[in-house]
Amino acid sequence: MIQVKNVTKRYGNFYAVRNINFEVKDGEIVGFLGRNGAGKSTTMNMITGFIEPTEGEIIINGYDIDQKPKKVKSQIGYMPEGTPLYSDLTVKEFINYMAELKLVPRKNRKEAVKNAIEETGLEKVQNNLTKSLSRGYKQRVSMAGAIVGNPKILILDEPTVGLDPKQVIEIRELIKSFRKNHTVLISSHILSEISQICEKVIIIDKGEIVAVDTPENLETKTADNTTLNIIVDDINNKFTSIKDEIPEITDIKLVKENDDNSKEYTIETNTSDDIRKLIFSNCAKNNITILEMKKSESSLESAFIKLVENRKEYSQKEINKMQYEKEIEELREEEKFNKEEKEKKKIAKKEAKARKKVAKEAKAEAKKNKKAEKNNDQKEGGNK
Amino acid sequence: MFAIIKKELKSYLLSPVGYVFIGLFLLIFSIFFYINIYQYQSVNFENLFYNGSTILTFIVPVLTMRMFSEERKTGTEQLLITSPRSITAIVLGKFFAAAIVMAITELFTLMYFAILSYFGKPSIMVAITTLIGFFLLSLAYIAFGMFASSITENQIVASVLTIGVFMAMWFLPYINEIFGLFSLIDKFENFSYGIISISEIITFVSFTLMFILFTIIVLQRRKSIK
Repeated sequence: MIQVKNVTKRYGNFYAVRNINFEVKDGEIVGFLGRNGAGKSTTMNMITGFIEPTEGEIIINGYDIDQKPKKVKSQIGYMPEGTPLYSDLTVKEFINYMAELKLVPRKNRKEAVKNAIEETGLEKVQNNLTKSLSRGYKQRVSMAGAIVGNPKILILDEPTVGLDPKQVIEIRELIKSFRKNHTVLISSHILSEISQICEKVIIIDKGEIVAVDTPENLETKTADNTTLNIIVDDINNKFTSIKDEIPEITDIKLVKENDDNSKEYTIETNTSDDIRKLIFSNCAKNNITILEMKKSESSLESAFIKLVENRKEYSQKEINKMQYEKEIEELREEEKFNKEEKEKKKIAKKEAKARKKVAKEAKAEAKKNKKAEKNNDQKEGGNK
Repeated sequence: MFAIIKKELKSYLLSPVGYVFIGLFLLIFSIFFYINIYQYQSVNFENLFYNGSTILTFIVPVLTMRMFSEERKTGTEQLLITSPRSITAIVLGKFFAAAIVMAITELFTLMYFAILSYFGKPSIMVAITTLIGFFLLSLAYIAFGMFASSITENQIVASVLTIGVFMAMWFLPYINEIFGLFSLIDKFENFSYGIISISEIITFVSFTLMFILFTIIVLQRRKSIK
């Protein structure tokens, strides 16, 4: 299980990741989605212990990576972005070295390396130097390096970037096969991939988490029910007139005219109710043949765009201004605090002074009384 | 640590780096050897090393410049740092691998001793102290070269920095006595007279340890600022 709690990574004034929280449960395959530079790799680098978070904690299977780095790191298989490999080693040597680095015991090492090679389909090239391999194979070698020794947690940073479609499908199948034995966190900016592989999606944008949900939920939540796409065979050009007959329709737009004289329209409505039946009956009345009619397709792609684009874009200037205002606010508060303190001190001083005065007066009075008493005594003595 | 030593040695010996290092070293030593014998008519083994210590300046960077720079540039650094190995083990592993290549190279120089003892009678004890001193000097140089490599991802910058500092060391004694104390190459002189002095050994060893430690600190630090 991966737990990321209130994690922030800051470079000077720039927040690469700001106060993110999420959890990946055992056996889950979770997709980490975001545009380029959204903070995906930074987060993954923090989970694997390559960089340290500025604030917050990361707990892997119950251990804090900061306190038990050896224990945590030996449970993680990491495939970094850009598939870095040692170019002067062969595939087998590289995977063996990864097994050694990950403290796979000597007696199990040979078998672990063999398994990793088999799982990633590298048998044919296992004795080739890694620098001589094609991109797809390099990716697989990097993947084999991550899975060797069967770590419980796999962190895969953009595993299918730059592969041809066939290789992408192969790698995807491979990742799906990890479902049984591993917890997988996989980052990507290719949405179709995530929706195919993952049970849960974390969407991150500008260093902040925007949504955590299943791909299906995200699609339905952000689905667009107010747009219909329709293709009609309309010889008399009467289709646009149905707008007047159905009050729910707000706009009809011609998308294109096809070669077979059919026309494609989009219909905007002001309700999320299904008005397809209404349109159908109206078209039938007007002798318009409907060739195709469907709701506007909702996909993870559109969900993603909606989630990300709705966020306000802050320019660096605005961020600086906000920061400046925050600092001023803090300074003001400090000043206020100082002033209050000063005033308190002043009052305390005054009180002390007043107390002193009272005490002095009391003393003086006591003296006076004593003197008076003495005088009285003397007088009484004289009288006697 | 042994896994890293093994891998690094493999990298040295599977790529041209190791051979270029050993080859260049022996080539220049052979030239010195020839000059010693034919020009100066000397059968002095230690003299060879006294002259040879200058070439360490130019040749140690061949061994050290790639140590961390290359890993950083190609990204394999991520594989190392995210592995359960500690940074100390990684640094020591790389250091010892380079030290082993250096030791192998020094073993080759025994052939000069063999040739000399065939024709004359060079002193074995002086030869041994010279070899020890030379090895300690090269360890100190390797430690500094490794440190230079850890602070940049550009191998050329790393090697230029290393050569620059080593060259400056030649001239330190000419500035004044205090600066002269930091000149390692100057300290080596005593070993080639057959003297093993504690102060020199301590200087070499502490210089080596200091830069190993600096390298560890640099890598540790980079985790939080990277």
